[in-house]
Amino acid sequence: MAMMAPFLKYGTFGEETSLVLAFLIGIGFGFFLERAGFGSARKLVSQFYLNDLAVFKVMFTAIVTAMLGVTYLGWIGWLDLSLVYLVPTYLLPQVVGGLILGVGFVVGGYCPGTSVAGTATGRIDGLVYVLGIFAGMFAFAELYPWLKGFYLSGSGEALTLPGTFGLPYGVVVFAVVLMAVGGFYGAGLLEKKFAATGE
Amino acid sequence: MNPYLAGIGLGVVLLAAFVLVGRGLGATGAFNSIIAWAVSSVAPEHAQSNEFIAGYLPDDGSSPLKSWLLFEVVGLFAGAMFSGLLAGRAKVTTEKGPRVSVRVRLAMAFAGGVLMAFGAAFARGCTSGQALTGGALLNLGSWAFMMMVFAGAYAVAYFVRWQWR
Amino acid sequence: MPGWFSRLTLTQKLAAAALALGAVALFASPYPGTKVTLDAKELALIVGTEADHVEATELAAWIIESRADYRLIDLRTRAEFEQYHIPTAVNIPMNVLTEAGLGRQEKLVLYSEGGIHAAQAWMLLRAQGYRSAYMLKGGLDEWKDQVVFPVFADNAGPDERARDERRRSISAFFGGQPRSAAAVAAGSDALPGVAAPVTPAMPKVAAPSTPSGTAKPPAKKKKEGC
Repeated sequence: MAMMAPFLKYGTFGEETSLVLAFLIGIGFGFFLERAGFGSARKLVSQFYLNDLAVFKVMFTAIVTAMLGVTYLGWIGWLDLSLVYLVPTYLLPQVVGGLILGVGFVVGGYCPGTSVAGTATGRIDGLVYVLGIFAGMFAFAELYPWLKGFYLSGSGEALTLPGTFGLPYGVVVFAVVLMAVGGFYGAGLLEKKFAATGE
Repeated sequence: MNPYLAGIGLGVVLLAAFVLVGRGLGATGAFNSIIAWAVSSVAPEHAQSNEFIAGYLPDDGSSPLKSWLLFEVVGLFAGAMFSGLLAGRAKVTTEKGPRVSVRVRLAMAFAGGVLMAFGAAFARGCTSGQALTGGALLNLGSWAFMMMVFAGAYAVAYFVRWQWR
Repeated sequence: MPGWFSRLTLTQKLAAAALALGAVALFASPYPGTKVTLDAKELALIVGTEADHVEATELAAWIIESRADYRLIDLRTRAEFEQYHIPTAVNIPMNVLTEAGLGRQEKLVLYSEGGIHAAQAWMLLRAQGYRSAYMLKGGLDEWKDQVVFPVFADNAGPDERARDERRRSISAFFGGQPRSAAAVAAGSDALPGVAAPVTPAMPKVAAPSTPSGTAKPPAKKKKEGC
């Protein structure tokens, strides 16, 4: 079976086409985000008040879907998984960044992708959130010389769970699926308990 | 839409990105590209000397706006608008609780955005790029990040619940 | 579909499907191994038409023109590379070639001492999906003979003289010097033990030394993040 994907990396098409694809893929992305109701801050934060755990359900279903997809496509040799870009791991800043991001999520009611979705469906708070991101990112850039040390702390290697824990890839995949399905079941129970108060 | 079906849809889109272009989704980078473009238009030397911004300026001098993520985010906007209009969920409004003023809610939204920016900068991404993309690829840093996002959000949610009451 | 399956709700069906796929995935090995597939017919065709070759004189012209649309790769050892290498070449020994992060659509020109290693590397790269790999015909040996120390007939006609001038200036560009045909012929007849006219030592690399197709690809790739 000939390895042909990722197509861009095999030279099937060039950068210009990849930008067009970016736009089309983005449409799909935005479409399903909004379909899930994530253009609304209220829906998003409901996750953290336990009355509507759609964020968890959507996110992990997407993760499991794509994860199974790359696993199978790589297994049958259609996709060269080693050519798919893996963001390097800088553990400490990512952990701290995650915390800050979580706080920002629940304070503002959106995350970067959903804030764009919210703005696209008329949410003024979404738009203001976007402005906040610009302001914050600009501030970060200006403060970068002082933040650089912390920002770069870590190995900067592309690390995976199977690699780090010395487990076969398939075992981790199965574990993630188990965890997700278990989580969905638990989410259903939590939702029943903290039923949504009007929505 | 059933969250699981929406999730599958999202997952297929993500998979398409992996297969077609060899990368995942994202959002934060688009904001950075815009900032890089704006700063380099107004103060080019400052942009070049700032290491963070310079990272978003292509070496060959082409516009930072020609970025994959930027095109993707524009598509995001379009796709979301389309879905919202289709579902009748599109209306100009400020989401907030009944006992909170618009001004306060917007201030919180702005503050949230600022915090989010710092978080995403340190983490090299946000829920789209790190959690979704890195999650699917079993990226170590992404999973750690994901857990911390939930931790941080749950920890603080109680203290800002008044926004929605 | 078994009866019990159709009585589940949609959500439960999805969960069952996910668990089934996950269980099968337990045995998955998604990364490509080291085995490759070769299309013998396609490769034979390419080899036959010599579409994969780059002449030494062609390469010399590209270097002089400062073309940046290709990467020149020296497959020899570090020591050999430091002693002399074609200007603008980067040293990637054969054994680390596939880990060097070369783009599969990048134009690569490979050379080795005589061309055998370059041919082997070419085959390996093509097998792994690199579509734009080329070999320097004749390797470094041809480079010396054609470009750096070109041989001129001693009694050249007017047309040949014009061409010789060009080759002379190319040779000078790379720090070499021409040799006369007579001297070379005499040298090759020398018997072992008799001192033969020594081929001039390779010039120090003074010509453009910035590696071709420089750091740009890695820098741009940063934008693959989020």
